Amino acid sequence: MERDMTPDESLRLIESMIGQAKKSFSRMSFYFLLWGVLLIGAMIATYIMRDAPPSPVQGAAWGVAGLIGGILSSIHGARQGKREPVNNPMDRVIGWLWGAFVITLLITIACTVPHHRDPGPMITLLTGLPTFMTGQILRFRPLIIGGMLFWFAGIIMHFTDDVLLLTVLYCSAMFFGYIVPGLMLKRQENVLRPA
Amino acid sequence: MSFAPLDPLLHNQLRLAVVSLLVGVDSAEFTFIVESTGATRGNLSVQITKLKEAGYISVTKSFRDNYPLTTCKLTAKGLRAFEKYVEAIRGYLDK
Repeated sequence: MERDMTPDESLRLIESMIGQAKKSFSRMSFYFLLWGVLLIGAMIATYIMRDAPPSPVQGAAWGVAGLIGGILSSIHGARQGKREPVNNPMDRVIGWLWGAFVITLLITIACTVPHHRDPGPMITLLTGLPTFMTGQILRFRPLIIGGMLFWFAGIIMHFTDDVLLLTVLYCSAMFFGYIVPGLMLKRQENVLRPA
Repeated sequence: MSFAPLDPLLHNQLRLAVVSLLVGVDSAEFTFIVESTGATRGNLSVQITKLKEAGYISVTKSFRDNYPLTTCKLTAKGLRAFEKYVEAIRGYLDK
């Protein structure tokens, strides 16, 4: 790598290296798989407990899922952060995007649950935004489609009260929006950047 | 017709590759730069030292799991030099 370069070669080298840097994202599949499994579990538990006395029992599954997911995500994030061979600024953008989503989600829950309104349809609709944007930033089409599926499911959920249909819609959106893209992303990460 | 002179420190394939890589990230470990550039560790080490001595990058040495860890980061001076280099290259290509 010591010979003189032409201006054209220099420019191509610069573009190629910047392109490589852009692809150096952290491994993210863990979060999609973790939250996908936990939230589907919480939704099924809520469906099974649909005839139980009203809250707090009915909402307990969501609290447990949120707590387990929060703890495991924090531990995983802290460990991964120390081991990442590269710090990509877009990782921070994705982190802030999901952080802002969690804040919006908590506000939505706080504004709906005390009035006995189901936050599920709005949360599903909101989930589409960070999922879609993460897919766009990573240039990973399954997540882009996943985000759109959340929007689609969220819209339909606004027009039905059928508990079974709501459960099926939410679980399907989670499965095809989080778990399937999560598995595909994991496979891609293993090829691009072995753990 | 005059051409802007090219920074000799950046007009070298490996050094330009390292700086271009660091432009796109906050910081990168030595092993990541080795993998991305395909250079040998010895050659990369020499070129990184030259970039460091010029003040284009900063190098932090630490330990992880008892193994030495070298992390590189582009400095403001390095970024300015890179921008000037790209501008000069574009000048050559436009003329």
